[in-house]
Amino acid sequence: MQITFTVNGEERELEVTPYTRLLDLLREDLGLTGVKEGCGKGECGACTVIMNGELTASCLVPAPQADQAEILTVEGLGTRDDLHPIQESFVEAGAVQCGYCIPGMILAGKRLLDQNPEPTEKEVRYGLSGNICRCTGYAKIIDAVMLAADKLAVEGSDSSD
Amino acid sequence: MIRKSPMKQKNRQTISGADFEQYFQPHNLDKALEIKAEYEDQIEVAAGTTDLLVANYEKLHQIKNWLDLDKLDELRKIEILENELHIGAMVTHLQLMKSDWIKENFAVLAAAAEDVGSPQIRSRGTIGGNICTSSPAGDLLAPLLSYQASFKLQSAEAERIVGAEKFFTGPKRNLMEADELLTEIIIPLTENEREGAWVKVGRRKALVISTLTLSVVLEFEAEQIVKAGVAMGSVAPTPIRLGEVEEMMLGNTLAELDYKKLGQEVKVRINPIDDLRGTKEYREDAAADVMIRALNEIERKRG
Repeated sequence: MQITFTVNGEERELEVTPYTRLLDLLREDLGLTGVKEGCGKGECGACTVIMNGELTASCLVPAPQADQAEILTVEGLGTRDDLHPIQESFVEAGAVQCGYCIPGMILAGKRLLDQNPEPTEKEVRYGLSGNICRCTGYAKIIDAVMLAADKLAVEGSDSSD
Repeated sequence: MIRKSPMKQKNRQTISGADFEQYFQPHNLDKALEIKAEYEDQIEVAAGTTDLLVANYEKLHQIKNWLDLDKLDELRKIEILENELHIGAMVTHLQLMKSDWIKENFAVLAAAAEDVGSPQIRSRGTIGGNICTSSPAGDLLAPLLSYQASFKLQSAEAERIVGAEKFFTGPKRNLMEADELLTEIIIPLTENEREGAWVKVGRRKALVISTLTLSVVLEFEAEQIVKAGVAMGSVAPTPIRLGEVEEMMLGNTLAELDYKKLGQEVKVRINPIDDLRGTKEYREDAAADVMIRALNEIERKRG
């Protein structure tokens, strides 16, 4: 069957089997390998994408349910030379160790800051509660999201001048 | 067009003509009911797929035919009709926890929705899926029992309304017929002052299957309790409502209740098992404790 969806701002049309997971579509058919497979059961958050504005475990979405959806993966956020402020913050805070969970963490951070630009630490922890990290112990990841909130606030006030 | 990747996994399914026949994604309810009538129990109903794809991944069972309700926008509404709240079966946990109306009038249901899985699960998982999966640990089920919800079951031929209390018949079992779909959850509104509490006990704060859940909803006239809904999850083969405990509370004010004794009354009326998430003994003791905690919380909110 055919599905049409928007990935990182670009409209894509794909021929899929109904049983393909969104995760496989993104990684294998579109080469967006920033989307990681961890547990394959919606528990770890490594495969997180933002789908229609909400955090979604792409391993739990059958391809036909992604039809007409708008999807953002970490590749749509920034490039190596032009990092998104959240990505920059992860680098500066030293929040990345093995890195496997980071694309999901960054998207969860983005979704949180989109809705709540000045989160408390508790709100950050709740916002990232669907993402598991086995290296960092979370402290620096939380710091990174808080730092990103500050950066985005400065940016926001600059652009309004 | 599929771009062929050299790293293509061995187990990746190929496209075959049969696949197209076996996946249905109807755009209206009548069509969905028609398909269900034809395939009956030979078709798996897909809602938010947060349970279904896990089962599929673990190869717990092979799914041959899918009926995907994702495009049925008519089942995604939350509305008030006469004296009832109607929640479409495809309403997500996220919709429930964000609805100001539900937060204000059915706070326990909103709180339970907020405790389901993780943000990633709440954005896809549905109330209808939670009900039809009928796990004794389903987080929304105890609150639905305490609010005395009923479920609308539709088939191509007929529809019926079944009370939540009668619906669940065993672990992952319910009384739905093979040609039926759950379409709506109906909860009566009340004129009375209402206060409630929700407790979920689990080993972690997020992404956890409940060790036990408790939902208490009390209605007051002046200070007197005139209606009570006490229900628990993960303490019996189905989510259960504790009618006898409710009756002990009726006609009393909160100040007249003996919280500790009510905790004991809850403890002797549940029938938990030992499993990965907790032992029978732990669950019995915790049930008594959370009942006391819930009553204290209600007292604090009214105070």
